[in-house]
Amino acid sequence: MQKLFSLPSLIVIVLLIVALPFVQRPVVAAEVLTLGIAAVATNLLLGYTGMLSFGQALFFGVGAYCAGILTTKFGFSAFLAIPAAMLFSAVAAFLIGLVCVRRSGLYFIMITFAFNQMVFFIAYSWTTMTGGEDGLPGVRRPSIIDDQWSFYIFTVLVFVSALCVMKLFVNSPTGRILQAIRDNPDRAAATGHDVGRYKLIAFVMAGMFTGLAGAIFAFVFGIVPIDKIDWRFSGDIVFMTLLGGSGSFIGPVIGAAFYTWLQETVSQYWDRWPMILGIVFALVVLFFRTGIAGMAELVAGKLTHRRGAAKAKQMEAGS
Amino acid sequence: MTFLIASQLLNGLATGMLYALVGVGLTLVLGMLNIPNFAHGGLYAFGAYFTYTIVNLTGSFYLAVLIGPLLVILVAFVIESQGVRRLYAAHHDYQLLFLFAMALILQEAIILIWGPVGFSVLTPKALSGVVNLGFTVYPAYRLALIGMTVLITVALWLFLTRTNIGAIVRAGMENREMVAVLGTDINRVFMWTFALGAYLAGLAGGLATPIMGLTPSMGADMLPISFVIVVIAGLGSILGAIASGILIGIAQSMTTIWWPEASNIAIYVLMGLTIILRPQGLFGTR
Repeated sequence: MQKLFSLPSLIVIVLLIVALPFVQRPVVAAEVLTLGIAAVATNLLLGYTGMLSFGQALFFGVGAYCAGILTTKFGFSAFLAIPAAMLFSAVAAFLIGLVCVRRSGLYFIMITFAFNQMVFFIAYSWTTMTGGEDGLPGVRRPSIIDDQWSFYIFTVLVFVSALCVMKLFVNSPTGRILQAIRDNPDRAAATGHDVGRYKLIAFVMAGMFTGLAGAIFAFVFGIVPIDKIDWRFSGDIVFMTLLGGSGSFIGPVIGAAFYTWLQETVSQYWDRWPMILGIVFALVVLFFRTGIAGMAELVAGKLTHRRGAAKAKQMEAGS
Repeated sequence: MTFLIASQLLNGLATGMLYALVGVGLTLVLGMLNIPNFAHGGLYAFGAYFTYTIVNLTGSFYLAVLIGPLLVILVAFVIESQGVRRLYAAHHDYQLLFLFAMALILQEAIILIWGPVGFSVLTPKALSGVVNLGFTVYPAYRLALIGMTVLITVALWLFLTRTNIGAIVRAGMENREMVAVLGTDINRVFMWTFALGAYLAGLAGGLATPIMGLTPSMGADMLPISFVIVVIAGLGSILGAIASGILIGIAQSMTTIWWPEASNIAIYVLMGLTIILRPQGLFGTR
């Protein structure tokens, strides 16, 4: 664990996990961690491979509906339904990825977005399974994690393991090749790497973990709302990732926390909170483009630089 | 059955021509400005709502369709000059997030201004009847709609191929750096292209009001369709956008005959097939 994450990231993660359930209700804290998994997974594409997917709500929704349907309609235990939902999201990501990774740039954005909408319509029309517009209610937690604190601890365990696996993936040779593709796809291809195949791997990884996040989310509030598979939620995930900072591994988690806080606070006072959300998005893009993690690094960099400069001065004076 | 198919074909053609207008507007913006314009649906919706308001104020549908979409250009100017222009050099991520934010703001603005409940616009009196086509009777407004959109498309085509500005726009879609180097004020071209795209979306929105009505989510519903049109057509192809707009409209109305629930999904299947068989789009070159 210590080798996997740098000390500052470790501190942020631990602080977040410990402080969250005291700042917010434990269910909301669990929601933050679930969205955090989704945002970090999305960043495997956005930050590590340079693929801007606008269809992540598709996998979040597939995971959530899969877990919800398996438990409510087929009597699966949550502990079986969650891995099954993950597998199902991975398969969905593989099939959709086969088509999407053929194109990049604007095309990739448009195609992922369009498939998101297609799956939304399937969820919307298949009312016997998904509950359609009203969502899928009645998703019960298993009895041993039924009360809010034990459920929170369960979410923490899933969150930490998901982060470790994704970090291992990023550090693996495959992860390195993905970063090479991000920096220069042509060069990566010229050195003999099958760019399409690696992009597909990244797409499946991101889809699978976003699906995991969705599966956990189904148990957070015990309902799968239809708007979690809507394309607007894909935009929200992109926002969390970018706001937290796509250049850092755990940055997106902070973005998810900020997003949830914003939504919780504003939606209490005003029905039209997406308006505020939109205004915040626009302001972030126009004036705050490095994200929170980027800002933190900048400040930290300045501090250490200053300290370094002071040391140099001392040395100079000493000599 | 033949009558049903014939009238569904006409229905598909009517909505398809609206799609074509929206699609051409989007492909102009995408091809020229190279930005993922998620605000396009919102601009379409604003065209419809402006038209609705002017119909209520003046009682004239024709006047409303004339002026309403022009007002959309003003909205587009604000979005372009205050945000999009600062982001041309940025990554797609930030452009996307900004335009997504605009989509949210436009939709919420509609709810704030006009309320969450939908409206309908009455068909103008002269076009409210039906026409006997011999094989079927068909609403006059839909026929007029097909006629009007064909005229608009021809006018747009002439504008793009016969005028100097049109030549600059087409050259910019091919290679905008070259156009900038040749001494054209590329920022102005971008601004007017964005405005033209918005106008076409708004015009489609206005013309659609008598047959589709108005709801705050109409922009969000049109947005994915317009992206599908551009993907099927191939980025930057104007002729392709017209053709695939019509194709999608007809595909949708034909699916409605046999499997109504799937009519919303059919167009995405069509898109998937296009990407597999011809990744650059039916008319695309890049």
